[in-house]
Amino acid sequence: MRTKALLIGDIRFQFKYGFYFLYLVFTILYISLLTVLPVTWRAQAATLMIFTDPAAMGLYFMGAIILFEKSESVLNSIAISPVRSLEYVVSKLISLALISTIVGLLIGFGSGNVSNPIILALGVFLGSCLFSSAGLIVAANIVSLNEFIVATIPVELVINVPALAWLFGWKPGWLILHPGICIIEIIQNGEKALPAMFILLVWTILFALLARRVVDKSLRVLGGGKL
Amino acid sequence: MRPLFQSFRLFIQQIFRDSMLSAVCIGTLVTALFIRFGVPAIENILCNHFQEEVILAKYYLLFDLMLALITPYMFCFASAMMILTEYDENLTRYLAVTPVGKNGYILSRLVFPALISIVVSVALMHWFSLTAWSFAMTLLTCILTCLMSIAVALLTFAFSHNRVEGLAMAKLSGLLMVGLFVPFFLLTNIQYLFSPLPSFWIAKLCMEQNLIFLWPATLSSLIWITVLYQKFSRKIR
Repeated sequence: MRTKALLIGDIRFQFKYGFYFLYLVFTILYISLLTVLPVTWRAQAATLMIFTDPAAMGLYFMGAIILFEKSESVLNSIAISPVRSLEYVVSKLISLALISTIVGLLIGFGSGNVSNPIILALGVFLGSCLFSSAGLIVAANIVSLNEFIVATIPVELVINVPALAWLFGWKPGWLILHPGICIIEIIQNGEKALPAMFILLVWTILFALLARRVVDKSLRVLGGGKL
Repeated sequence: MRPLFQSFRLFIQQIFRDSMLSAVCIGTLVTALFIRFGVPAIENILCNHFQEEVILAKYYLLFDLMLALITPYMFCFASAMMILTEYDENLTRYLAVTPVGKNGYILSRLVFPALISIVVSVALMHWFSLTAWSFAMTLLTCILTCLMSIAVALLTFAFSHNRVEGLAMAKLSGLLMVGLFVPFFLLTNIQYLFSPLPSFWIAKLCMEQNLIFLWPATLSSLIWITVLYQKFSRKIR
């Protein structure tokens, strides 16, 4: 019940601050771009777009969301409310993953290369949760937007570089254990999509639990846990 | 002038503390190195693979334009993020009523970094560009990309009420740079639909080497800056 209320609050927040509008504009832009690209490039380009934008949006926006909540003392209120840190994390992840999944599906359909929408939706959803968890972990202890942006660069490099190398043809088998590559493999519905789904699920749960731990610690500090 | 320089010093100190200054410096240098050495290497690989004479070489000028843009854009992005943070923490209004003033605030947070970025950008273009550039053309292009980056930063701030909206606007305002690609890929008159974008005219100026395009490139940037500055000014009143 509390998670549901938090989720509705987060969705309202994201709607109010233009996330839905922003991604409407970007979805139209991406689909228009896909239509002018040669047909043979579209699947690859759509995968790249979905992976680097809607799936990764949590990592980009989490810093601003957390800093805003800190400045509005939202976190102080949450710290003294019955809300558990896991509920807070789950609400953030699901609300952002919802936008990611809708946008991912629209771009996928726009490219005309979706063989299995359920697999694509699951891949983008889990990928988004993974990126958002990483964003939460980074955002918990930062004080400015610039600091957050700089702190996310190593995370982006670690997740994105092997994934992009995989997308452009460098595919040693063991690399499927990498979370970014799992997202790419699922979006493309490749041969290893099913094991990739399982591996990504494990990574996402690990990241979410780590995010819960970090959030829990910062809420305890806010709520006076140090006393 | 002294309060202005003090305010600018604070800005530099803050982005140094955030590691943003190092990130901007390293980021621009890595991009420049990639354009100078990575792009021709990729071109070789692609040409060998597809048995073509040129693939990316046709767009070397576009890579140079991105090189001219990257430094002012990154500096102005860092400025915009800092202005957003200060606005959210109500510091902007306080600073505006100190001897720094509203104009001084924008000078120290946005114009000074942008001016420095012109020098850096010209140097990077001199050492890392892929095509031949005269000094005058390099300087003109870097000034124009700097004006455009100021407009992008103002747009990010002017239409947002807090950091969250600001970051969304920063993503959206990146679209102002789409114009750089238009003359290279849209060869019909439909390309003029992008004429409100300064980046479109900058690309036209460099592609056709015709100074007539300097006017729309400058004017479009100045119009964006004037309109957005008024909005900015109202916001911190």
